[in-house]
Amino acid sequence: MDNTLAPPQTRRVVMGIQEPQDFDAPELPTEPLPLNMGPSHPAMHGTVRMVLEVEGEKISSADVQIGYLHRCFEKESEFATWTQVFPYTDRLNYISPMLNNVGYAMAVEKLLGITNQIPERAQYIRVIVGEMSRITDHMTCLGASAMELGAFTVFLYMLKAREWLFELIEEVCGARLTVSYLRIGGCAWDLPEGFAEKLRSILERSKGVLAEVSTLLDRNRIFRDRLDGIGVVTQQDCLQYGITGPVARSTGLAYDVRKDAPYLVYDRFDFDVPVGSVGDNFDRYAVRVEEMKQSMRILEQALQQIQPGPVAVNDPRIILPAKSETYNSIEAMIAHFKIIMDGIHVPPGEVYSYTEAGNGELGFYLVSDGTGRPWKCRVRPPCFAATAILPELLKGLFIADIVPTFGLMNMIGGECDR
Amino acid sequence: MSTGPVTTPPAPGAPPPVETVTVTIDGKTHQFPKGTNLLEACNATGANVPFFCYHPGLSSPAVCRQCLVEVKGQPKPVPSCYTPVADKMEVATASPKTLDVRRQMLEFTLVNHPIDCPICDKAGECMLQKHYFDWDGKLARNDGIKVKKAKVVDLGPTIVLDQERCILCTRCIRVCDEVAGVHQLEMSKRGDRELLGVAPGHKLDNPYSLNTVDVCPVGALTSKDFRFAMRAWELYATPSVCTGCATGCNTDVHSSRGRIYRLVPRVNEKVNKHWMCDEGRMTYKAVHTDRLAAPMSEGAAVEWDRALDDATRRLRTVLDQGPGRLGVVFNATSPNEDLYALAKLAFDHLGVGKAYLAGRDQGWSDKILVSADKNPNTAGAFAIGAGRLKTLLDLANDLKSGAIGALLVVGTDGVLVGDKASATMPLDKLEALVVLSTHKNAVTQAAHVALPLAGWAELDGTFTNKLGMVQRVHAAIPPAGDALAGWDILSHLAHKLGATMDFQSAKAVFTEASSKLPFMKGAEWGRGVRPLQLRFANSRG
Repeated sequence: MDNTLAPPQTRRVVMGIQEPQDFDAPELPTEPLPLNMGPSHPAMHGTVRMVLEVEGEKISSADVQIGYLHRCFEKESEFATWTQVFPYTDRLNYISPMLNNVGYAMAVEKLLGITNQIPERAQYIRVIVGEMSRITDHMTCLGASAMELGAFTVFLYMLKAREWLFELIEEVCGARLTVSYLRIGGCAWDLPEGFAEKLRSILERSKGVLAEVSTLLDRNRIFRDRLDGIGVVTQQDCLQYGITGPVARSTGLAYDVRKDAPYLVYDRFDFDVPVGSVGDNFDRYAVRVEEMKQSMRILEQALQQIQPGPVAVNDPRIILPAKSETYNSIEAMIAHFKIIMDGIHVPPGEVYSYTEAGNGELGFYLVSDGTGRPWKCRVRPPCFAATAILPELLKGLFIADIVPTFGLMNMIGGECDR
Repeated sequence: MSTGPVTTPPAPGAPPPVETVTVTIDGKTHQFPKGTNLLEACNATGANVPFFCYHPGLSSPAVCRQCLVEVKGQPKPVPSCYTPVADKMEVATASPKTLDVRRQMLEFTLVNHPIDCPICDKAGECMLQKHYFDWDGKLARNDGIKVKKAKVVDLGPTIVLDQERCILCTRCIRVCDEVAGVHQLEMSKRGDRELLGVAPGHKLDNPYSLNTVDVCPVGALTSKDFRFAMRAWELYATPSVCTGCATGCNTDVHSSRGRIYRLVPRVNEKVNKHWMCDEGRMTYKAVHTDRLAAPMSEGAAVEWDRALDDATRRLRTVLDQGPGRLGVVFNATSPNEDLYALAKLAFDHLGVGKAYLAGRDQGWSDKILVSADKNPNTAGAFAIGAGRLKTLLDLANDLKSGAIGALLVVGTDGVLVGDKASATMPLDKLEALVVLSTHKNAVTQAAHVALPLAGWAELDGTFTNKLGMVQRVHAAIPPAGDALAGWDILSHLAHKLGATMDFQSAKAVFTEASSKLPFMKGAEWGRGVRPLQLRFANSRG
């Protein structure tokens, strides 16, 4: 079956925003009506409230209110050791927690000045679990958005594939979501036995799922009519709002941190950065589908290239010594005690470190005063910028357009509200 | 008794000319007075040279070799704590050689150190842990059998020694010699069999013995009182002042979840330097025993409003007979704020004629830190009383003669002491006895209305020590039960009695008092202090 999309340039807006008079309906007198949507609304994912002003079906203004999932991430981090922040980062973008782990670990390592010392195997593991998470992130976003437009089957197919990946991640670290798998200086432990074969098999099956989903959606008139030409973000908007990730790429901006500022071992992989041309909801869908395929390419290459070796730096002041050492030598006992109780001593300074997360550039701005805990741990959540443009984007759309537009922005409360 | 304005030490004359030498430390030149210790000089420049046996309050024996630094022209690294700075000296505190010997010394010290961190009281504030983490950071290269020594050696009434943990720095010996002035500890044997201990038949029982625990860089010496009571890193430190006597040693209150676990000295070169006495350290125990936790009226616990109403009604009845029939009792253990608020209420608003000063009895003293006056604020009470305060003997006489019908007691320390006290001090003759007290005692039992008072660890305030220094205490724990600060209770009482005294905070009382009282002039309230968790304070060491 041919699943390739028509090139973006040749796609045209099937049905844009239509003024009521375009229909054959009599013009009814309307008056502005305030309408509350969320936070307890299935399509608002329980984390956002929109106060709309509608004239008939048309939105004249939208007040998007975030903050329902504010957990004081940044403040809490100031009262935790550098290592204890990992569980908090799991809960940022909670459908791709590994990518948050990667972003945070790399930020602290940059501050410690040990970025070059991370063993190669640890870097490959970070790429592998990160790209697996990127796939789960996009699958959740697309599956949920499709379901909200009525395509329940797609949701179930996507979640089936996501579940395979989550189960493998659970095998790696013991948790599907609250992974806390990375450590400053490497990974908590090595990948389990038989990981590569399992992942290859999952990738194979997932490709089948993506193909099935493409068949169901790509030429589906109902689906296309609700995405094409709706919620158009321009490149100018992206620059003004600081939007990155799939939303920016859907406008044709080929910005991807993995390509533009390669980190870990991303420069060793052959992969493309898919871009759209219109910047509408369909482009955001298409970009994400293509990104999943690119992630699978990276994963296949990574599985081929990864070599055995240590998975963390060999410094007892950064990585906990082995338990056998800890129980049998005073040196390792002290190192263990100090890392757990005092935290890793990060030299005073500040750092901004950024990686490509599921929603775009995930940045950590850290300040250390030389003690075992962050003096400041600021996070730049990529979907915050994408959410910020929503009020402007929704103005003039119909109520029904909110669902796909909001869904494909992929606002994740845990990340946006922190 | 010094009551004059002596919050700052007397102005010194012209400083004598200091001869300075030029020293190059890590490539930068600095000027230091001649004779400065090289270790202090290096660390003053931010070099952070580690040490075990050196202590800023003691002499330097250079036994631990941890502070070795490279000095140009010297064939071997020199112990910086034992070397005075010399002109044109060139010192390297972070050269590869210095770092190497520093690491080797730590490795050497750790060879026989037991793997005790999980059960060691010092873990979390241990200098050995800190220096290993900062300067060594290598895993063990040796898995030989460690030398076995005695794990529990009872040195005296306050201290237990673990000889295996001892790193033989001799700080404890020098504390006894140079601070307490008695030689009670001694080293025996040699090499890795060397032992710390007391001579046979002797005990470590000097009144400053617990300072040895503070200076012990590891967990060899542990306080029997604090042993196994709490993990050090869970404690929060709040700056305070010891209330055990008139010296006013500066302390840190170490508390957690509303409970105090120990007091440790805080450095103040003008008062207590690095030290405090054992007796003062134990003053925290009273904070948690026999506290008056709820307002009492006629022996029954009642709400604050009801208790204040009852107190007002009783005092009002006597006040209506004339202000001369009301007496107030100040206490030399109260902070300046409570004393000032009471003086303002009694003298300015109620026109009370009879005021008395109570306080703890005199006790033993020495020439080191302990004062015979066991009250923390006698100087402040005398200054605020300004000659209007009579003695407890006068109070007893006035009670017997029936000259006073009502008594307002703020602070009950020393009011009724001993079995025969109630016979000499017939409080039962009073028509109204209103008592503000931190503890349950004979006075609160005799009282018609007893109001719970916040103790020294629970309030923000100031005490005036015998040198006349106004020293600040910070609230370390929440007040026991419903207790309130004295100035607060007195403000409420004043309001009910129709007086216009309305203090909103201890700082407001302090500000007003320091603008009116000469002895508090120049004293500063300072900034609020948040208790600091020792876990994040790095090791105290």
